[in-house]
Amino acid sequence: MADPLRRPEQISPRSSPRDRGSRSPACPRPDSTGTLKTTISLGKNPSVKHTGPFYCVKDIPEQSEITGSTNLLHHYGLEHSYNKFCGKKVKEELSAFLPHLPGNIDTPGVQDNSSLRMLIEKPPITGKELSQLSGLALAGFRLHPGPLPEQYRMMHQMPSKKKKHKKHKKEGDKGNALSEAQTVDNASDAESRKPKKQKKEEEKDKDGKKKKKKEKKKKKQKHSPEHTVSHSGETGS
Amino acid sequence: MADKFESLEQQLELFIENTRQLGIIVSDFQPLGQGQNVLNQKINTMVSEMQEIEKFRPLLQDVHVPLEVFNYIDEGKNPNLYTKDCLEKALEKNEQVKGKMDNLKRFKGLLMVELTKVFPNEMNMYRALKGEDRLK
Repeated sequence: MADPLRRPEQISPRSSPRDRGSRSPACPRPDSTGTLKTTISLGKNPSVKHTGPFYCVKDIPEQSEITGSTNLLHHYGLEHSYNKFCGKKVKEELSAFLPHLPGNIDTPGVQDNSSLRMLIEKPPITGKELSQLSGLALAGFRLHPGPLPEQYRMMHQMPSKKKKHKKHKKEGDKGNALSEAQTVDNASDAESRKPKKQKKEEEKDKDGKKKKKKEKKKKKQKHSPEHTVSHSGETGS
Repeated sequence: MADKFESLEQQLELFIENTRQLGIIVSDFQPLGQGQNVLNQKINTMVSEMQEIEKFRPLLQDVHVPLEVFNYIDEGKNPNLYTKDCLEKALEKNEQVKGKMDNLKRFKGLLMVELTKVFPNEMNMYRALKGEDRLK
């Protein structure tokens, strides 16, 4: 009968296929807990007792409830969030997230030194008390008549939205350039364009409806008994 | 918790609106009108609104914002895209790990079958040992 216990020589690291060749004591050995299960007793009767059946049988780690194979989105109740963010198309512009903010916020913050990164890298001076300005301090904000420098003129204006229709693309670009220079004209143009657009849309709707009505009439006529009788009469003769 | 964010948001919107009106006053200055007085009032309103915003600071000490969101905002992108990207990456990683685990389980099963064919006695001992360890 085969001895169920193997000889210790067969289990020693020297005989393992991984450790062929010499290994110096200076080299740090890998963690061998749970691998070599023998007890060596010295003395009058030195012996090597075998305490484990297999070399390289390590203790099994405890099972956990959450593993990499569990559906983590379901586990943490994020399915609704996933459908909300990944199911629908999310607009890329920052202005879509903050529609009520004035000015053009879609430009990178590095261009006008308004980036949040700069705020972290060079934090402003804080801790000072905020107090109302006195008359003398407000004198520094005295206004003078004259035009504003060009770079500051358009800062408070909202950027005009891009038009989706290809036909109006060129007109829209020109209109955008003009509208940025004149806020009042922009508002009036928008108002005047609205009835024109509405008229065009109404005409298109009417045409579409007329076409649908015609198609329905044709279908009804085809399937009506009068039409079939007349049609068969014509073919017969 | 959502209330303090909403009230902070309202306060910030008021501040931004005030700043916008300041810009209009400055750009449309009329020397004969009350522009200067209105400007002074607006500046003081700005200071008082900053004081109001300052009061929110202790309420929001524990709020942590990931730094990667700032990169999106600085590029002029919607921060919801960051959330979307995080969820997509998490799902992708989840699927990868699940695939690895499933394949390793399958490999283990096949290995056990083949080892049992070659080393039946040893595998019986292994199974017995595994059974003891599981009971522990």
